[in-house]
Amino acid sequence: MRAGRSRRLLGLAGLLGFLALLEVVPRVGLVPERYLPPASRIAGALADELRQPSFWVALGDTLEGWAIGLAIAFAGGIGLGLLLGSIPALRAVTSSTIEFLRPIPSVALIPLAVLLFGTDLRSKLLLVVYASFWQVLIQVLSGVQDVDPVAMDTAHSYRLGRWSRVRHVVWPTTLPYAVTGFRLAAAVALVLAVTAELIIGSPGLGKEIAVAQTSGAVPAMYALVVVAGLLGVGVNLLARTVERRVLAWHPSVRRDAAA
Amino acid sequence: MRRPLILLAVVGVLVAAGCGSSDDEPGEASGGAQQVKVGIIPILDVAPIYLGKEKGFFTSRNIELTLESGQGGAAIVPGVVSGQFQFGFSNVTSLLIAQSRGLPLKVVSNGVASTGKDKADFGGVVTRDDSIKTAADLAGKRVAVNTLKNIGDSTIRASVRKAGGDPSSIKFVELAFPDMPAALQADRVDAIWVVEPFLSTSLGEGGRLVASNYVDTAPDLTVAVYFTSEQLTKDDPDLVKRFTEAMTESLAYAESHPDEARQVLTTYTQIDEAVIQELTLPKWPPEINRESVETLATLAVQDGLVTEQPDLAALLP
Repeated sequence: MRAGRSRRLLGLAGLLGFLALLEVVPRVGLVPERYLPPASRIAGALADELRQPSFWVALGDTLEGWAIGLAIAFAGGIGLGLLLGSIPALRAVTSSTIEFLRPIPSVALIPLAVLLFGTDLRSKLLLVVYASFWQVLIQVLSGVQDVDPVAMDTAHSYRLGRWSRVRHVVWPTTLPYAVTGFRLAAAVALVLAVTAELIIGSPGLGKEIAVAQTSGAVPAMYALVVVAGLLGVGVNLLARTVERRVLAWHPSVRRDAAA
Repeated sequence: MRRPLILLAVVGVLVAAGCGSSDDEPGEASGGAQQVKVGIIPILDVAPIYLGKEKGFFTSRNIELTLESGQGGAAIVPGVVSGQFQFGFSNVTSLLIAQSRGLPLKVVSNGVASTGKDKADFGGVVTRDDSIKTAADLAGKRVAVNTLKNIGDSTIRASVRKAGGDPSSIKFVELAFPDMPAALQADRVDAIWVVEPFLSTSLGEGGRLVASNYVDTAPDLTVAVYFTSEQLTKDDPDLVKRFTEAMTESLAYAESHPDEARQVLTTYTQIDEAVIQELTLPKWPPEINRESVETLATLAVQDGLVTEQPDLAALLP
Protein backbone atom coordinates (compact mmCIF):
# COMPACT_ATOMS: atom_id res chain seq x y z
CA MET A 1 0.00 0.00 0.00
CA ARG A 2 2.75 2.41 1.01
CA ALA A 3 4.74 1.57 -2.14
CA GLY A 4 1.63 2.31 -4.22
CA ARG A 5 1.14 5.70 -2.60
CA SER A 6 4.73 6.84 -3.05
CA ARG A 7 4.60 5.76 -6.69
CA ARG A 8 1.48 7.81 -7.17
CA LEU A 9 3.18 10.78 -5.52
CA LEU A 10 6.16 10.42 -7.83
CA GLY A 11 3.82 10.29 -10.82
CA LEU A 12 2.10 13.45 -9.64
CA ALA A 13 5.46 15.16 -9.15
CA GLY A 14 6.44 14.22 -12.70
CA LEU A 15 3.21 15.72 -14.03
CA LEU A 16 3.66 18.94 -12.04
CA GLY A 17 7.23 19.19 -13.27
CA PHE A 18 6.03 18.84 -16.84
CA LEU A 19 3.39 21.55 -16.33
CA ALA A 20 5.99 23.85 -14.79
CA LEU A 21 8.26 23.29 -17.76
CA LEU A 22 5.37 24.02 -20.13
CA GLU A 23 4.73 27.25 -18.23
CA VAL A 24 8.35 28.40 -18.18
CA VAL A 25 9.57 27.50 -21.67
CA PRO A 26 7.21 29.88 -23.54
CA ARG A 27 7.47 32.55 -20.81
CA VAL A 28 11.24 32.88 -21.12
CA GLY A 29 10.92 32.90 -24.90
CA LEU A 30 12.59 29.58 -25.76
CA VAL A 31 9.52 28.92 -27.90
CA PRO A 32 7.32 31.81 -29.12
CA GLU A 33 4.28 32.14 -26.86
CA ARG A 34 2.00 32.44 -29.87
CA TYR A 35 2.77 28.92 -31.02
CA LEU A 36 3.15 27.22 -27.65
CA PRO A 37 1.12 29.07 -25.05
CA PRO A 38 2.15 28.60 -21.40
CA ALA A 39 0.26 26.00 -19.37
CA SER A 40 -1.81 28.65 -17.60
CA ARG A 41 -3.19 30.01 -20.89
CA ILE A 42 -3.99 26.51 -22.08
CA ALA A 43 -5.81 25.93 -18.79
CA GLY A 44 -7.78 29.14 -19.38
CA ALA A 45 -8.74 28.01 -22.88
CA LEU A 46 -9.71 24.63 -21.45
CA ALA A 47 -12.03 26.32 -18.97
CA ASP A 48 -13.63 28.20 -21.89
CA GLU A 49 -14.11 24.96 -23.79
CA LEU A 50 -15.73 23.23 -20.82
CA ARG A 51 -18.42 25.91 -20.80
CA GLN A 52 -19.44 25.27 -24.41
CA PRO A 53 -22.15 22.70 -25.14
CA SER A 54 -20.47 21.92 -28.48
CA PHE A 55 -17.42 20.65 -26.58
CA TRP A 56 -19.47 18.12 -24.65
CA VAL A 57 -21.21 16.98 -27.83
CA ALA A 58 -17.80 16.47 -29.45
CA LEU A 59 -16.54 14.57 -26.41
CA GLY A 60 -19.63 12.37 -26.55
CA ASP A 61 -19.09 11.71 -30.27
CA THR A 62 -15.50 10.66 -29.67
CA LEU A 63 -16.44 8.35 -26.79
CA GLU A 64 -19.30 6.87 -28.80
CA GLY A 65 -17.01 6.02 -31.72
CA TRP A 66 -14.42 4.64 -29.33
CA ALA A 67 -16.86 2.46 -27.38
CA ILE A 68 -18.73 1.03 -30.35
CA GLY A 69 -15.53 0.44 -32.33
CA LEU A 70 -13.82 -1.20 -29.39
CA ALA A 71 -16.83 -3.41 -28.66
CA ILE A 72 -17.00 -4.63 -32.26
CA ALA A 73 -13.25 -5.24 -32.41
CA PHE A 74 -13.24 -7.03 -29.06
CA ALA A 75 -16.19 -9.28 -29.83
CA GLY A 76 -14.91 -10.00 -33.33
CA GLY A 77 -11.35 -10.61 -32.15
CA ILE A 78 -12.44 -13.06 -29.47
CA GLY A 79 -14.90 -14.89 -31.69
CA LEU A 80 -12.54 -15.26 -34.61
CA GLY A 81 -9.55 -15.89 -32.35
CA LEU A 82 -11.21 -18.79 -30.58
CA LEU A 83 -12.43 -20.22 -33.87
CA LEU A 84 -9.11 -19.97 -35.71
CA GLY A 85 -7.12 -21.01 -32.66
CA SER A 86 -9.15 -24.16 -32.03
CA ILE A 87 -8.89 -25.45 -35.60
CA PRO A 88 -5.20 -25.87 -36.53
CA ALA A 89 -5.91 -26.19 -40.27
CA LEU A 90 -7.85 -22.93 -40.29
CA ARG A 91 -5.10 -21.24 -38.32
CA ALA A 92 -2.49 -22.41 -40.85
CA VAL A 93 -4.56 -21.22 -43.80
CA THR A 94 -5.17 -17.76 -42.36
CA SER A 95 -1.89 -16.99 -40.61
CA SER A 96 -0.10 -15.49 -43.61
CA THR A 97 -3.16 -13.42 -44.52
CA ILE A 98 -3.34 -12.10 -40.97
CA GLU A 99 0.34 -11.25 -41.00
CA PHE A 100 -0.23 -9.43 -44.30
CA LEU A 101 -3.25 -7.44 -43.17
CA ARG A 102 -2.15 -6.66 -39.63
CA PRO A 103 0.68 -4.19 -40.36
CA ILE A 104 -1.43 -2.11 -42.78
CA PRO A 105 -1.85 1.18 -40.94
CA SER A 106 -5.48 1.98 -40.34
CA VAL A 107 -4.79 5.53 -41.52
CA ALA A 108 -4.04 4.16 -44.99
CA LEU A 109 -7.68 3.12 -45.17
CA ILE A 110 -8.92 6.71 -44.90
CA PRO A 111 -9.59 7.13 -48.64
CA LEU A 112 -11.52 3.85 -48.63
CA ALA A 113 -13.48 4.87 -45.54
CA VAL A 114 -14.42 8.18 -47.14
CA LEU A 115 -15.49 6.55 -50.39
CA LEU A 116 -17.67 4.05 -48.56
CA PHE A 117 -19.11 6.11 -45.75
CA GLY A 118 -18.26 9.81 -46.19
CA THR A 119 -17.52 11.58 -42.95
CA ASP A 120 -20.06 9.94 -40.66
CA LEU A 121 -19.62 7.60 -37.73
CA ARG A 122 -19.11 4.52 -39.90
CA SER A 123 -15.89 5.95 -41.38
CA LYS A 124 -14.53 6.40 -37.89
CA LEU A 125 -15.65 2.90 -36.92
CA LEU A 126 -13.89 1.37 -39.90
CA LEU A 127 -10.56 2.84 -38.79
CA VAL A 128 -11.09 2.12 -35.11
CA VAL A 129 -12.23 -1.46 -35.63
CA TYR A 130 -9.49 -2.23 -38.14
CA ALA A 131 -6.74 -0.99 -35.84
CA SER A 132 -7.97 -2.47 -32.59
CA PHE A 133 -9.27 -5.78 -33.95
CA TRP A 134 -5.77 -7.16 -34.57
CA GLN A 135 -4.65 -6.33 -31.04
CA VAL A 136 -7.38 -8.56 -29.67
CA LEU A 137 -7.13 -11.27 -32.31
CA ILE A 138 -3.38 -11.78 -31.96
CA GLN A 139 -3.63 -11.96 -28.18
CA VAL A 140 -6.49 -14.45 -28.29
CA LEU A 141 -4.63 -16.60 -30.82
CA SER A 142 -1.58 -16.73 -28.54
CA GLY A 143 -3.86 -17.47 -25.61
CA VAL A 144 -5.46 -20.42 -27.36
CA GLN A 145 -2.02 -21.73 -28.25
CA ASP A 146 -0.96 -21.49 -24.63
CA VAL A 147 -3.59 -24.01 -23.51
CA ASP A 148 -1.96 -26.80 -21.52
CA PRO A 149 -2.03 -29.96 -23.71
CA VAL A 150 -2.34 -32.15 -20.62
CA ALA A 151 -5.43 -30.26 -19.53
CA MET A 152 -6.81 -30.62 -23.04
CA ASP A 153 -6.10 -34.36 -23.08
CA THR A 154 -7.74 -34.70 -19.70
CA ALA A 155 -10.81 -32.91 -20.99
CA HIS A 156 -10.87 -35.29 -23.95
CA SER A 157 -10.57 -38.30 -21.62
CA TYR A 158 -13.52 -37.02 -19.64
CA ARG A 159 -15.39 -36.79 -22.92
CA LEU A 160 -16.08 -33.09 -22.61
CA GLY A 161 -17.89 -31.72 -25.65
CA ARG A 162 -16.41 -29.03 -27.88
CA TRP A 163 -18.32 -26.25 -26.14
CA SER A 164 -17.37 -27.48 -22.67
CA ARG A 165 -13.72 -27.72 -23.66
CA VAL A 166 -13.78 -24.14 -24.89
CA ARG A 167 -15.62 -22.97 -21.82
CA HIS A 168 -13.63 -24.83 -19.13
CA VAL A 169 -10.17 -25.29 -20.65
CA VAL A 170 -9.50 -22.89 -23.50
CA TRP A 171 -11.34 -19.85 -22.17
CA PRO A 172 -9.66 -19.64 -18.71
CA THR A 173 -6.24 -19.79 -20.38
CA THR A 174 -7.18 -17.30 -23.07
CA LEU A 175 -8.91 -14.79 -20.83
CA PRO A 176 -5.76 -13.05 -19.50
CA TYR A 177 -4.54 -12.70 -23.08
CA ALA A 178 -7.91 -11.36 -24.22
CA VAL A 179 -7.88 -8.82 -21.41
CA THR A 180 -4.40 -7.69 -22.40
CA GLY A 181 -5.72 -7.40 -25.94
CA PHE A 182 -8.60 -5.32 -24.60
CA ARG A 183 -6.22 -2.96 -22.82
CA LEU A 184 -4.06 -2.49 -25.93
CA ALA A 185 -7.11 -2.15 -28.17
CA ALA A 186 -8.73 0.42 -25.88
CA ALA A 187 -5.79 2.78 -26.28
CA VAL A 188 -5.40 2.17 -30.02
CA ALA A 189 -9.14 2.68 -30.56
CA LEU A 190 -8.97 6.10 -28.91
CA VAL A 191 -5.99 7.16 -31.01
CA LEU A 192 -7.76 6.13 -34.20
CA ALA A 193 -11.07 7.71 -33.22
CA VAL A 194 -9.35 11.08 -32.76
CA THR A 195 -7.28 10.59 -35.92
CA ALA A 196 -10.39 9.87 -37.98
CA GLU A 197 -12.02 13.03 -36.68
CA LEU A 198 -8.89 15.07 -37.30
CA ILE A 199 -8.34 13.93 -40.87
CA ILE A 200 -11.71 12.86 -42.21
CA GLY A 201 -13.69 15.40 -40.24
CA SER A 202 -16.05 12.99 -38.51
CA PRO A 203 -17.71 14.79 -35.60
CA GLY A 204 -15.72 14.65 -32.35
CA LEU A 205 -12.77 16.07 -30.45
CA GLY A 206 -10.38 15.60 -33.38
CA LYS A 207 -12.58 17.71 -35.63
CA GLU A 208 -12.69 20.43 -32.98
CA ILE A 209 -8.88 20.32 -32.85
CA ALA A 210 -8.78 20.72 -36.64
CA VAL A 211 -11.20 23.66 -36.55
CA ALA A 212 -9.20 25.38 -33.81
CA GLN A 213 -6.04 24.81 -35.84
CA THR A 214 -7.44 26.18 -39.11
CA SER A 215 -8.75 29.17 -37.15
CA GLY A 216 -5.37 29.93 -35.61
CA ALA A 217 -6.87 29.47 -32.13
CA VAL A 218 -3.68 28.00 -30.66
CA PRO A 219 -4.56 27.88 -26.92
CA ALA A 220 -7.93 26.28 -27.70
CA MET A 221 -6.20 23.72 -29.89
CA TYR A 222 -3.78 22.75 -27.11
CA ALA A 223 -6.65 22.67 -24.63
CA LEU A 224 -8.41 20.09 -26.82
CA VAL A 225 -5.18 18.14 -27.22
CA VAL A 226 -4.92 18.05 -23.43
CA VAL A 227 -8.47 16.69 -23.27
CA ALA A 228 -7.51 13.95 -25.73
CA GLY A 229 -4.53 13.12 -23.50
CA LEU A 230 -6.67 13.00 -20.38
CA LEU A 231 -9.09 10.76 -22.21
CA GLY A 232 -6.18 8.44 -22.91
CA VAL A 233 -5.29 8.33 -19.22
CA GLY A 234 -8.93 7.64 -18.38
CA VAL A 235 -9.15 4.83 -20.91
CA ASN A 236 -6.01 3.24 -19.54
CA LEU A 237 -7.29 3.44 -15.95
CA LEU A 238 -10.57 1.90 -17.04
CA ALA A 239 -8.83 -0.92 -18.87
CA ARG A 240 -6.67 -1.66 -15.83
CA THR A 241 -9.71 -1.72 -13.58
CA VAL A 242 -11.43 -4.14 -15.92
CA GLU A 243 -8.27 -6.24 -15.94
CA ARG A 244 -8.13 -6.39 -12.14
CA ARG A 245 -11.81 -7.24 -11.82
CA VAL A 246 -11.97 -9.86 -14.51
CA LEU A 247 -8.70 -11.53 -13.59
CA ALA A 248 -9.10 -11.33 -9.81
CA TRP A 249 -8.60 -15.11 -9.67
CA HIS A 250 -5.49 -15.09 -11.83
CA PRO A 251 -2.05 -15.54 -10.19
CA SER A 252 -0.61 -12.43 -11.89
CA VAL A 253 -3.24 -10.16 -10.37
CA ARG A 254 -3.31 -11.97 -7.02
CA ARG A 255 0.43 -11.50 -6.73
CA ASP A 256 0.01 -7.79 -7.47
CA ALA A 257 -2.56 -7.43 -4.74
CA ALA A 258 -0.41 -9.28 -2.22
CA ALA A 259 2.71 -7.22 -2.87
CA MET B 1 -16.49 -18.01 -14.54
CA ARG B 2 -19.63 -15.86 -14.41
CA ARG B 3 -17.93 -12.52 -14.96
CA PRO B 4 -16.34 -13.17 -18.35
CA LEU B 5 -19.69 -14.29 -19.67
CA ILE B 6 -21.33 -11.13 -18.37
CA LEU B 7 -18.60 -9.12 -20.05
CA LEU B 8 -19.26 -10.88 -23.32
CA ALA B 9 -22.97 -10.24 -22.98
CA VAL B 10 -22.33 -6.53 -22.41
CA VAL B 11 -20.11 -6.40 -25.47
CA GLY B 12 -22.80 -8.15 -27.49
CA VAL B 13 -25.40 -5.59 -26.45
CA LEU B 14 -23.02 -2.75 -27.31
CA VAL B 15 -22.42 -4.21 -30.75
CA ALA B 16 -26.13 -4.56 -31.35
CA ALA B 17 -26.70 -0.97 -30.23
CA GLY B 18 -23.87 0.17 -32.46
CA CYS B 19 -25.33 -1.48 -35.51
CA GLY B 20 -28.69 0.04 -34.74
CA SER B 21 -27.51 3.60 -34.41
CA SER B 22 -25.27 3.61 -37.45
CA ASP B 23 -28.05 2.31 -39.65
CA ASP B 24 -30.00 5.51 -40.10
CA GLU B 25 -29.05 6.52 -43.63
CA PRO B 26 -29.18 10.24 -44.36
CA GLY B 27 -31.42 9.40 -47.28
CA GLU B 28 -34.72 10.89 -48.34
CA ALA B 29 -37.06 13.39 -46.87
CA SER B 30 -37.72 13.70 -43.19
CA GLY B 31 -40.82 15.85 -43.21
CA GLY B 32 -40.67 16.70 -46.91
CA ALA B 33 -37.36 18.59 -47.17
CA GLN B 34 -34.63 16.92 -49.17
CA GLN B 35 -31.55 15.99 -47.12
CA VAL B 36 -28.44 17.43 -48.74
CA LYS B 37 -24.86 17.05 -47.53
CA VAL B 38 -22.18 19.47 -48.64
CA GLY B 39 -18.47 18.81 -48.09
CA ILE B 40 -16.67 22.00 -47.10
CA ILE B 41 -13.54 23.21 -45.30
CA PRO B 42 -14.19 25.24 -42.12
CA ILE B 43 -12.47 28.42 -43.38
CA LEU B 44 -13.79 31.91 -44.05
CA ASP B 45 -14.32 31.22 -47.78
CA VAL B 46 -17.48 29.26 -47.04
CA ALA B 47 -19.16 31.90 -44.86
CA PRO B 48 -21.94 32.44 -47.48
CA ILE B 49 -23.24 28.87 -47.27
CA TYR B 50 -23.41 29.07 -43.46
CA LEU B 51 -25.09 32.46 -43.74
CA GLY B 52 -27.50 31.19 -46.39
CA LYS B 53 -28.38 28.22 -44.20
CA GLU B 54 -29.01 30.54 -41.27
CA LYS B 55 -31.16 32.84 -43.42
CA GLY B 56 -33.27 29.97 -44.71
CA PHE B 57 -32.26 30.32 -48.38
CA PHE B 58 -31.97 26.55 -48.59
CA THR B 59 -35.01 25.49 -46.58
CA SER B 60 -37.17 27.83 -48.67
CA ARG B 61 -36.09 25.69 -51.65
CA ASN B 62 -36.91 22.49 -49.83
CA ILE B 63 -33.26 21.70 -49.06
CA GLU B 64 -32.27 20.51 -45.58
CA LEU B 65 -28.56 21.34 -45.54
CA THR B 66 -25.90 19.46 -43.59
CA LEU B 67 -22.40 20.92 -43.80
CA GLU B 68 -19.64 18.35 -43.43
CA SER B 69 -16.30 19.91 -42.75
CA GLY B 70 -13.00 18.15 -43.02
CA GLN B 71 -9.53 19.57 -42.60
CA GLY B 72 -7.87 20.33 -45.92
CA GLY B 73 -10.83 18.87 -47.71
CA ALA B 74 -9.19 15.48 -48.37
CA ALA B 75 -12.60 13.90 -48.14
CA ILE B 76 -14.51 16.28 -50.35
CA VAL B 77 -13.87 15.15 -53.95
CA PRO B 78 -14.05 11.40 -53.18
CA GLY B 79 -17.12 12.11 -51.04
CA VAL B 80 -18.90 13.83 -53.91
CA VAL B 81 -17.86 11.26 -56.51
CA SER B 82 -19.13 8.40 -54.35
CA GLY B 83 -22.38 10.22 -53.59
CA GLN B 84 -21.74 10.59 -49.84
CA PHE B 85 -22.00 14.34 -50.38
CA GLN B 86 -24.31 15.83 -52.96
CA PHE B 87 -22.13 18.92 -53.32
CA GLY B 88 -18.63 20.00 -52.42
CA PHE B 89 -16.43 23.08 -52.17
CA SER B 90 -13.07 23.11 -53.90
CA ASN B 91 -10.58 25.47 -55.47
CA VAL B 92 -10.67 25.70 -59.25
CA THR B 93 -7.21 24.24 -59.87
CA SER B 94 -7.99 21.11 -57.83
CA LEU B 95 -11.11 20.58 -59.92
CA LEU B 96 -9.17 21.03 -63.16
CA ILE B 97 -6.72 18.37 -61.96
CA ALA B 98 -9.55 16.07 -60.85
CA GLN B 99 -11.26 16.46 -64.23
CA SER B 100 -8.02 15.69 -66.09
CA ARG B 101 -7.88 12.42 -64.14
CA GLY B 102 -11.27 11.47 -65.45
CA LEU B 103 -13.43 12.28 -62.43
CA PRO B 104 -16.88 13.26 -63.67
CA LEU B 105 -17.44 16.58 -61.88
CA LYS B 106 -19.61 19.56 -62.68
CA VAL B 107 -19.38 23.07 -61.23
CA VAL B 108 -22.75 24.35 -59.98
CA SER B 109 -22.03 27.70 -58.39
CA ASN B 110 -19.38 30.25 -57.66
CA GLY B 111 -17.61 29.82 -54.32
CA VAL B 112 -15.18 32.58 -53.51
CA ALA B 113 -13.22 35.18 -55.47
CA SER B 114 -10.23 37.44 -55.01
CA THR B 115 -10.98 41.03 -53.99
CA GLY B 116 -9.09 42.12 -57.10
CA LYS B 117 -7.27 44.79 -55.09
CA ASP B 118 -3.49 44.59 -55.04
CA LYS B 119 -2.07 44.25 -51.48
CA ALA B 120 -5.63 44.14 -50.15
CA ASP B 121 -6.66 40.58 -50.96
CA PHE B 122 -7.61 37.79 -48.55
CA GLY B 123 -4.42 35.93 -49.42
CA GLY B 124 -0.91 36.83 -50.44
CA VAL B 125 2.81 36.18 -50.22
CA VAL B 126 4.44 37.41 -47.00
CA THR B 127 8.15 37.64 -46.21
CA ARG B 128 10.57 38.94 -43.59
CA ASP B 129 13.54 38.83 -45.95
CA ASP B 130 14.67 42.36 -46.82
CA SER B 131 16.18 41.21 -50.12
CA ILE B 132 12.69 40.32 -51.38
CA LYS B 133 11.21 43.61 -52.60
CA THR B 134 8.84 42.44 -55.32
CA ALA B 135 7.43 39.15 -56.55
CA ALA B 136 10.35 38.92 -59.02
CA ASP B 137 12.76 38.57 -56.08
CA LEU B 138 11.08 35.30 -55.04
CA ALA B 139 13.18 33.56 -57.70
CA GLY B 140 15.52 31.09 -56.03
CA LYS B 141 13.80 31.46 -52.63
CA ARG B 142 12.00 28.94 -50.45
CA VAL B 143 8.29 29.69 -50.58
CA ALA B 144 5.72 27.81 -48.50
CA VAL B 145 2.39 26.79 -50.05
CA ASN B 146 -0.34 24.68 -48.46
CA THR B 147 -0.40 22.10 -51.29
CA LEU B 148 2.24 21.54 -53.93
CA LYS B 149 1.17 21.52 -57.58
CA ASN B 150 -2.01 23.40 -56.92
CA ILE B 151 -3.53 26.86 -57.04
CA GLY B 152 -0.94 28.36 -54.66
CA ASP B 153 2.28 27.64 -56.54
CA SER B 154 0.50 28.06 -59.90
CA THR B 155 -0.65 31.62 -59.13
CA ILE B 156 2.62 32.54 -57.40
CA ARG B 157 4.49 31.59 -60.58
CA ALA B 158 2.08 33.83 -62.53
CA SER B 159 2.78 36.63 -60.10
CA VAL B 160 6.55 36.23 -60.45
CA ARG B 161 6.33 36.11 -64.25
CA LYS B 162 4.23 39.30 -64.25
CA ALA B 163 6.88 41.04 -62.16
CA GLY B 164 9.53 39.94 -64.65
CA GLY B 165 11.14 37.20 -62.55
CA ASP B 166 11.99 33.59 -63.30
CA PRO B 167 9.55 31.31 -61.48
CA SER B 168 11.37 28.10 -62.40
CA SER B 169 13.98 28.51 -59.65
CA ILE B 170 11.49 28.96 -56.77
CA LYS B 171 11.72 26.18 -54.21
CA PHE B 172 8.18 25.47 -53.08
CA VAL B 173 7.76 23.86 -49.67
CA GLU B 174 4.54 22.25 -48.52
CA LEU B 175 3.27 23.47 -45.14
CA ALA B 176 -0.21 23.74 -43.61
CA PHE B 177 -1.48 27.33 -43.41
CA PRO B 178 -1.60 27.30 -39.57
CA ASP B 179 2.10 26.33 -39.44
CA MET B 180 3.30 28.97 -41.88
CA PRO B 181 3.60 32.08 -39.68
CA ALA B 182 5.76 30.10 -37.24
CA ALA B 183 7.91 28.74 -40.08
CA LEU B 184 8.48 32.28 -41.34
CA GLN B 185 9.41 33.49 -37.86
CA ALA B 186 11.92 30.68 -37.54
CA ASP B 187 13.37 31.44 -41.01
CA ARG B 188 12.68 27.90 -42.13
CA VAL B 189 11.29 29.44 -45.34
CA ASP B 190 11.93 32.79 -47.02
CA ALA B 191 8.32 33.58 -47.84
CA ILE B 192 4.90 32.10 -47.15
CA TRP B 193 1.70 32.12 -49.13
CA VAL B 194 -1.08 32.55 -46.60
CA VAL B 195 -4.78 33.30 -46.57
CA GLU B 196 -6.82 34.89 -43.81
CA PRO B 197 -6.76 34.67 -40.80
CA PHE B 198 -3.08 33.68 -41.04
CA LEU B 199 -2.36 36.59 -43.38
CA SER B 200 -3.33 39.03 -40.62
CA THR B 201 -1.37 36.97 -38.08
CA SER B 202 1.86 37.00 -40.04
CA LEU B 203 1.55 40.67 -40.99
CA GLY B 204 1.02 41.46 -37.31
CA GLU B 205 4.28 39.65 -36.50
CA GLY B 206 6.49 41.80 -38.68
CA GLY B 207 5.78 40.12 -42.00
CA ARG B 208 5.63 42.18 -45.18
CA LEU B 209 3.23 41.59 -48.05
CA VAL B 210 5.19 41.31 -51.31
CA ALA B 211 2.60 40.02 -53.73
CA SER B 212 -1.12 39.45 -54.09
CA ASN B 213 -0.80 36.39 -56.26
CA TYR B 214 -4.53 36.01 -56.98
CA VAL B 215 -4.73 39.64 -58.12
CA ASP B 216 -1.63 39.27 -60.30
CA THR B 217 -3.05 36.16 -61.98
CA ALA B 218 -6.32 37.58 -63.30
CA PRO B 219 -8.69 40.42 -62.49
CA ASP B 220 -11.34 39.27 -59.98
CA LEU B 221 -10.05 35.70 -60.04
CA THR B 222 -12.57 32.99 -59.21
CA VAL B 223 -10.66 31.01 -56.58
CA ALA B 224 -13.05 28.26 -55.55
CA VAL B 225 -16.46 26.94 -56.55
CA TYR B 226 -19.18 24.53 -55.46
CA PHE B 227 -19.46 21.39 -57.54
CA THR B 228 -21.34 18.13 -57.83
CA SER B 229 -20.98 14.82 -59.66
CA GLU B 230 -22.17 14.46 -63.25
CA GLN B 231 -24.32 11.62 -61.95
CA LEU B 232 -26.37 13.96 -59.78
CA THR B 233 -26.87 16.46 -62.60
CA LYS B 234 -28.54 13.62 -64.53
CA ASP B 235 -30.37 11.94 -61.63
CA ASP B 236 -31.74 15.04 -59.96
CA PRO B 237 -31.34 18.15 -62.13
CA ASP B 238 -34.05 19.87 -60.12
CA LEU B 239 -32.03 19.58 -56.88
CA VAL B 240 -28.94 20.95 -58.63
CA LYS B 241 -30.98 23.88 -59.94
CA ARG B 242 -32.42 24.65 -56.49
CA PHE B 243 -28.99 24.38 -54.85
CA THR B 244 -27.48 26.75 -57.42
CA GLU B 245 -30.28 29.25 -56.83
CA ALA B 246 -29.89 29.05 -53.06
CA MET B 247 -26.12 29.40 -53.37
CA THR B 248 -26.44 32.40 -55.67
CA GLU B 249 -28.76 34.09 -53.20
CA SER B 250 -26.38 33.23 -50.31
CA LEU B 251 -23.35 34.65 -52.14
CA ALA B 252 -25.18 37.86 -53.01
CA TYR B 253 -26.37 38.21 -49.42
CA ALA B 254 -22.91 37.65 -47.94
CA GLU B 255 -21.42 40.09 -50.43
CA SER B 256 -23.87 42.83 -49.46
CA HIS B 257 -23.83 42.08 -45.71
CA PRO B 258 -20.13 41.77 -44.74
CA ASP B 259 -20.90 42.35 -41.05
CA GLU B 260 -23.21 39.36 -40.97
CA ALA B 261 -20.60 37.35 -42.86
CA ARG B 262 -18.05 38.22 -40.16
CA GLN B 263 -20.61 37.32 -37.51
CA VAL B 264 -21.30 33.88 -38.98
CA LEU B 265 -17.57 33.09 -38.79
CA THR B 266 -17.92 32.91 -35.01
CA THR B 267 -20.39 30.04 -35.38
CA TYR B 268 -18.19 27.57 -37.27
CA THR B 269 -14.59 28.69 -36.76
CA GLN B 270 -12.65 29.52 -33.62
CA ILE B 271 -11.01 32.59 -35.11
CA ASP B 272 -10.39 35.23 -32.45
CA GLU B 273 -13.16 37.88 -32.36
CA ALA B 274 -10.67 40.73 -32.72
CA VAL B 275 -9.07 39.08 -35.75
CA ILE B 276 -12.49 38.52 -37.33
CA GLN B 277 -13.22 42.24 -37.24
CA GLU B 278 -9.84 43.10 -38.79
CA LEU B 279 -9.31 40.47 -41.45
CA THR B 280 -9.81 41.07 -45.17
CA LEU B 281 -12.90 39.30 -46.44
CA PRO B 282 -12.82 37.78 -49.93
CA LYS B 283 -15.40 38.65 -52.59
CA TRP B 284 -18.45 36.49 -53.06
CA PRO B 285 -19.80 37.43 -56.49
CA PRO B 286 -22.76 35.24 -57.52
CA GLU B 287 -21.31 34.67 -60.99
CA ILE B 288 -18.23 32.65 -61.93
CA ASN B 289 -15.60 34.70 -63.75
CA ARG B 290 -15.10 32.36 -66.73
CA GLU B 291 -12.17 34.28 -68.14
CA SER B 292 -10.25 33.84 -64.89
CA VAL B 293 -11.00 30.11 -64.88
CA GLU B 294 -9.59 29.95 -68.41
CA THR B 295 -6.45 31.66 -67.11
CA LEU B 296 -6.12 29.08 -64.32
CA ALA B 297 -6.59 26.30 -66.88
CA THR B 298 -3.85 27.76 -69.09
CA LEU B 299 -1.54 28.05 -66.06
CA ALA B 300 -2.32 24.47 -65.06
CA VAL B 301 -1.18 23.30 -68.48
CA GLN B 302 1.86 25.59 -68.46
CA ASP B 303 2.97 24.36 -65.00
CA GLY B 304 2.39 20.74 -65.94
CA LEU B 305 -0.39 20.16 -63.39
CA VAL B 306 -2.50 18.70 -66.20
CA THR B 307 -1.29 17.29 -69.48
CA GLU B 308 -3.88 18.67 -71.88
CA GLN B 309 -6.06 21.77 -72.08
CA PRO B 310 -9.01 21.15 -69.69
CA ASP B 311 -12.50 20.91 -71.16
CA LEU B 312 -14.06 23.92 -69.47
CA ALA B 313 -17.34 23.56 -71.33
CA ALA B 314 -17.85 20.20 -69.62
CA LEU B 315 -16.73 21.41 -66.20
CA LEU B 316 -18.45 24.78 -65.92
CA PRO B 317 -22.22 25.21 -65.90
